[in-house]
Amino acid sequence: MESDQTPDQTLTPHPTRKILCIEDEHFIAELYDRSLTKAGYDVDVMSDGLKALAAAQTDTYDIILLDLMVPNMTGIEILRALRDPNQTPSLRAKIIITTNLEQREDVRTDIEAQADGYLVKAEMTPHELADFVNTIE
Amino acid sequence: MDHVQQVRKQIANYLFAVLLIENFIVIGAMWYAQNYLAISPFIVLGAGLAVALISSLLLASTASKLTMQPLKAIWQIILHIAPEGNTPMAPPDTAKLKIGRELVTNLTGQIYQLASVAERVAASTKIENADLSHSFVANNLPLPLIVMDSSETIKFANQAVAEYIGIAASELIGKNVYMALDMSFPNDDTFDTWLKDAKQNNATSIHSWERVRLNVRDNHPTRLFDLAGYYNKDNSDQMETIMVLFDHTKQYSQDDQAISFIALSVHELRTPLTLLRGYIEVFEDELAGKVDPQLFDFMQKMSATAQQLTSFVNNILNVARIDDDQLELQLHEEDWYSILTSAVENLSLRAKVRGITLETTIAPNLPAVGVDRLSIHEVLNNLIDNAIKYSGTSPIIKIDAHTTTEGLVETTIEDFGLGIATNVLPNLFTKFYRDHRNRAQIGGTGLGLYLAKTMVSAHGGNLWVRSKEDSGSTFGFTLLPYSQLSEEAKKNGDNGIVRGAHGWIKNHSMYRR
Repeated sequence: MESDQTPDQTLTPHPTRKILCIEDEHFIAELYDRSLTKAGYDVDVMSDGLKALAAAQTDTYDIILLDLMVPNMTGIEILRALRDPNQTPSLRAKIIITTNLEQREDVRTDIEAQADGYLVKAEMTPHELADFVNTIE
Repeated sequence: MDHVQQVRKQIANYLFAVLLIENFIVIGAMWYAQNYLAISPFIVLGAGLAVALISSLLLASTASKLTMQPLKAIWQIILHIAPEGNTPMAPPDTAKLKIGRELVTNLTGQIYQLASVAERVAASTKIENADLSHSFVANNLPLPLIVMDSSETIKFANQAVAEYIGIAASELIGKNVYMALDMSFPNDDTFDTWLKDAKQNNATSIHSWERVRLNVRDNHPTRLFDLAGYYNKDNSDQMETIMVLFDHTKQYSQDDQAISFIALSVHELRTPLTLLRGYIEVFEDELAGKVDPQLFDFMQKMSATAQQLTSFVNNILNVARIDDDQLELQLHEEDWYSILTSAVENLSLRAKVRGITLETTIAPNLPAVGVDRLSIHEVLNNLIDNAIKYSGTSPIIKIDAHTTTEGLVETTIEDFGLGIATNVLPNLFTKFYRDHRNRAQIGGTGLGLYLAKTMVSAHGGNLWVRSKEDSGSTFGFTLLPYSQLSEEAKKNGDNGIVRGAHGWIKNHSMYRR
C-alpha cells in the first residue's frame, strides 16, 4: 500500500475536498497539513479523540485520516462510532487509518473490515501521502 | 522342574513294578505248567506267549492312562477357567491323582493366578469401552481429554475440557471436532493432516504438537497449549481417536507480550522516522535547485538513510512475528510488473546515493502472481538493499523477471560486487548470520536474507543464490502464478488464501476467514 502509489499527474483533487486529520503528534499533523494544503485540500487537524469524533459526525468531510492513538478516545473507538448508524446516521467520508502501531492480527482484520484504507505513516513521506489521498475516489 | 523329575520317577517306578510282577507271573505259570501239569512244552510256551501279549496290552493301556492323568487335569483346569469355544468343565479333583499330584497342584495354582490377572485387565478395558462418562479417572483427569469416534465426532469430553474452554461437555458431545474446536497450528503439521494420514496408513499412531492455539468464542480467553493425539484403528468405533491438551497459555502468552513490547518499540521508532522523512522532504522540495548540489546530495543521502532505517524497523518486527508464529500472509492476485517496479522505484534513491543504477528487465505477459503485497515488498526490499550494500564500486544492479519452464515467475537480482565465498553460502539464510569478512566494512544485522527466505517459502516459492567471490552474487526467487494458488483456494472452498511463514494456518479446510 505504502510506496506502491506512484504520483499520478492526471488526477487533480477536487478543490473543495475537505480532509479531517485526526492526529495528536503535532509535528506529523503539521507536515500533513502542509503537504495536503499544498495539494489543494481544505485540511482540519484535530488531536482530541472526542472533539474529533464530534467534528467527523457533522458529515462535512470527504476524507478522514485517523490515527489510532489519540487522547480521550482510541482511534478504533472513533472508527466504530463512525460506522455505527445509531451514533453516526450518515457519513460520506472515506476513512483512512494512519498509524505506526502494529496491530494484532484480529484487530487488524477488524480495522480492515471497517476502514477504507490503512497506511503506516513511517512508510510514506507527506508527499506520498498526498499522492495516496489523490487516488481516493 | 522338581515336580517334573518327580513325575518321571513315579512313572518309571510304576512301570518297573508292573513289568516285574507280570514277568514273574508269566514265568512262574510256565514253570508250574511244565513241571506239575505235564503239558507239552510247546503248548506251555504258546500259552505263555499269549498271556504275555495280553498282559502287555493291558499294561500299555493302563500306563498311558496313568501317565496322561496330570496332563488331563491341567487341560481340565484351563477349560474350567476359559471355556471359550468348549463346554465348561468342572475343576479336577487333584487329590485323586496317582501320578504328578504335586506338579498338577502347583501348575493349577499358577494358572489360576494368571487367569485372575488377565481377568483384571479384561475388566478394566471393558469399563473403558463401555462408557467413559462413568469412568472416575477419565472424568477427574486434571488434563482436558477429548475422545472421538471414527467420523471425528466428539463422544466424550471430561470436566477439565469444560473448565478449560468454557464449553460444557454436553455441548461438545455429538459435534464434529473441527466445528467444535477452532484450533490453529504453528505450521502445516496439523491435527487434521495427522489424523487423515494415520487413518490411511497406520493401525495406531501417536503424535504431539506444540503451541496450538484454540480460538474460543464469546470472550473466553484464547488458549495456548501442547496437544497429544492417539489413534488406534482397533479401538471401538466410538473411541478411535483420543486427544489430550496440556495448557501453556501463560507461558506462551508471555511470548506474545514480548511481541507487544517489540510492537511498541517499533511504534516509538517509527514516529521520529516519520518526522525525519517528512522534514527532509520539505527541505528537498523547498531547496531543490537553490542550494549547492553537494548539499542537495547530502540531503538525499539523509533521506535514503532514514528510509533504510524504516526498512530495518520492519525487519525487526517481521522477524519477531516469524519467530513467534504470528506472521500471517494473505495471498491475493497481483500484477508482478507493478509490484516489482514500485519496489525498485522505492529503492532507487538508496541506490542512487551510492552511485548505483538499478536496471530492470521485466518479461512481457507475466502471469498474475499470488502474493501478500506487504511481505513480498519486504523480500524485494531486503534483496535489493543487500545487492546495494555488497556492490562495492560496481555501478549496476540487474533485476530481471521472467517465467521459468515450469511456469513459475522468477525474479533475479544480480550485483557485480564483492560476491560470497563458497564456504559461507550454506549459512547465508540463517538468522543473524553475516559474512565475517565483510562484518567490519558493511553494516547489517543478518536478518534480511533470513526474512526473505522465510517469506518466499511461505509464498510457496524458492529462494536461491549463486555467487562468485569478487565478481558478484545473484539472488533469485520463484513465485507461484495465482492460477495455481487459486486451485488450492477452490479446493479449500475459500476466497482468500491464508498462509503462515510458519504463521498460523487454520486447522481445517472448513475454516473460512
